Amino acid sequence: MNAASPSILAALSPSDNEELAQRRAVLAEIDASCRGPLLFLFSGSIIWLLVGTVFALLASLKLHNPEYLANYSWLTFGRVRPAHLNAVIYGFASEAAIGVTLWLMCRLCRTPLLFGWIINAAGVFWNLGVTIGVVAILAGDSTGIEWLEIPPYATPILFVSYALIAVWGVITFRFRREKHLYVSQWYLLAALFWFPWIYSAAQILLVLDPVRGTVQAAVNWWFAHNVLGLWFTPIGLASIYYFIPKVLGKPVYNYSLSVLGFWSLALFYNWNGMHHLVGGPMPAWLITVSIVASVMMTIPVITVGINHHLTMWGSFRELKTSPVLRFMVFGGMSYTLTSLHGIALALRSVSEVTHFTHSTIAHSHQGMYAFFTMVMFGAIYYIMPRVLQVDWPSARLIRVHFWAVAIGILLYVFPLIVGGTLEGMAMTNPDVPFVDAVKPSVVSLTLPYLKTRSYSGMLIFLGHLAFAISFGWIVLRWAQAGRLARLKTSLARV
Amino acid sequence: MNYGPILFLGIFLTVASSWCGLVLIPHLQFGRQQPVKIEETGELYPQSRPGIAQQGMAVYQANGCIYCHTQQVRAEHFGADIARNWGQRRTVARDYIFDKPVMLGTMRTGPDLTNIGLRQNSVTWHLQHLYTPVITSKGSIMPPFRFLFEQRKIGAKPSPDAVPLPKEYAPEPGYEIIPKAEAKALVQYLLSLKASAPLPETR
Amino acid sequence: MSVLWILFVCSLVVLPGIALLAFRWAMRQGEFRHLEKTALSIFDDDEPVGQTTDCFPGGQRGKKPAPTRPPNPISRPRLPEA
Repeated sequence: MNAASPSILAALSPSDNEELAQRRAVLAEIDASCRGPLLFLFSGSIIWLLVGTVFALLASLKLHNPEYLANYSWLTFGRVRPAHLNAVIYGFASEAAIGVTLWLMCRLCRTPLLFGWIINAAGVFWNLGVTIGVVAILAGDSTGIEWLEIPPYATPILFVSYALIAVWGVITFRFRREKHLYVSQWYLLAALFWFPWIYSAAQILLVLDPVRGTVQAAVNWWFAHNVLGLWFTPIGLASIYYFIPKVLGKPVYNYSLSVLGFWSLALFYNWNGMHHLVGGPMPAWLITVSIVASVMMTIPVITVGINHHLTMWGSFRELKTSPVLRFMVFGGMSYTLTSLHGIALALRSVSEVTHFTHSTIAHSHQGMYAFFTMVMFGAIYYIMPRVLQVDWPSARLIRVHFWAVAIGILLYVFPLIVGGTLEGMAMTNPDVPFVDAVKPSVVSLTLPYLKTRSYSGMLIFLGHLAFAISFGWIVLRWAQAGRLARLKTSLARV
Repeated sequence: MNYGPILFLGIFLTVASSWCGLVLIPHLQFGRQQPVKIEETGELYPQSRPGIAQQGMAVYQANGCIYCHTQQVRAEHFGADIARNWGQRRTVARDYIFDKPVMLGTMRTGPDLTNIGLRQNSVTWHLQHLYTPVITSKGSIMPPFRFLFEQRKIGAKPSPDAVPLPKEYAPEPGYEIIPKAEAKALVQYLLSLKASAPLPETR
Repeated sequence: MSVLWILFVCSLVVLPGIALLAFRWAMRQGEFRHLEKTALSIFDDDEPVGQTTDCFPGGQRGKKPAPTRPPNPISRPRLPEA
């Protein structure tokens, strides 16, 4: 924390504070102020990425090879799968999202990162909570509620951590030195506010004092869909809205449209969750409301799509030279595709076939990985050299990373959508046996697609390794550069 | 849009609206359902599970059965749930009022289990199936749950608990496979899964 | 069924009413004026419009460097020595 930073109390009424009337901070000053917290958060998130990918590979292999590592209770499919989900959602994705949010907030508010210790404390708590949670799931202590498997003795730790981040967000917003609120800011502020609401409401109504019967299912999917819609999606979109124009040096195609895009997302996305329960033991009106809201999502998806793709229009040559742009554009295109696909999946006639099949899994990976994770990769590639003032060590590693994960995820998603749909068509046809020793069955039909997924998973893991090496290397380079600089100053003194 | 407070107000109201619509109103509408008397049998339905089945539910939760098995039957002309004999009727909210947590599930990598207690009512079948699924279901990709069993040296005489196994899956001679308490509880839970009582709202 | 009536009234009268009022208020406040200016707020003298800010390590950054300034290797003015 630099000496000139104001006290937290001043956040109550920052306009009284004369220091804040000063010029907007220089970009380099802002970037440097983020160094400590971002190094911590990004390192944590990359470790969780690797851990989560290993769990994912195990789960994928086990699905078509049930005898693989079958005698260890800790590694049974039903524990490895939620361990994978929680490691990547709460460990990798949320931590990366928080890191990118911090940096974007600072840059968009034009203020250096104040009170870094709040973030560091939050980061420690967050990693502690996720670690306890994942170990507990592997040990058989899961709550059995999808997306909320982390047991109640670990969630308060996560909540404390989150509260610290939210407080930090509000303080930074109060101390802003930029009078314009750029579109990314709306999404970030909304995400920072929405996540604790949905998370605490779901914890209270499902774990601490559960509501009765299938109301639990309603709360569960209201939460689980909103983690994507109100936490990851806004942060992903905020990043694309910042990075594509920034990298190209070209303002957003149509800024007025972004107002429509933001408010329609805020209005419709949080009503979507019940489409996970089509045909389930719930009142029909509840599910219909969600289907209608899902269809209404065409408005934000198309407006955001117009803005992202038309900003990019005419600049595709830059993809050759800019790694950040590659990841961002891949993410932006995936967002449009996955959203339109999701809208189709919500319809009753489609859901009748695809519900309960692997095509849902393909869809969620298209959203969480092909869109969100790719955007986070791009953001980290942009942020790290600026924060550390050292360039990435190897262009080749970045290329390996990009192509491995891009081909990997395409190989994951599209075959599995096809396989899942075929699976659903077989499942809704009672003449096809569910499982059979010799005859083609619902189960045997999916096997080739499940195997393809394992191969794609290996490719993605390779990409993650390249990324982790790159990251470790740039940090090492930065540490060496620091040592060199210290050496020079001490020599100069002699 | 440069004014913070109105932005915050909008952000608050939008999520509050869906909280009311998708959480609060469902709770008011069907969050306080009670068991009803079934005319044919004169019994109250549903009833809460006996203790051992409740323990079995914890085993079901811990081992993530929910990631491959649903516990919901869709209506007759929506999917092939009833045609596949996964239930005689669709399930409704009242079927679940004693479940904590409700494990409807979202994947059918394996078949639906709403009525598994009716379809397979033999303890031996379930124990064999949990020990090595392909004994009872050829072609299955369900993982074996052998860690819920113990391999023991046969004492003076074979234990009555020992799981009868076909030759190719049996342990070496002189040994027997005994289910642990978790396996027994899990089987009791599976046997307790049935939603067939003719509720008034399903007629 | 009474639930449906509540939803009906909410969706057709109350929520659109609030939205309309909020929209009118925002219009009068001038929240939607000069939107395009905000789109430019992420650029400044260090990173002006028309200059790309990213490339593979070892490549050349800065497509059209601002005429008065030397090509800026994006954006990394040295920090003042601490």
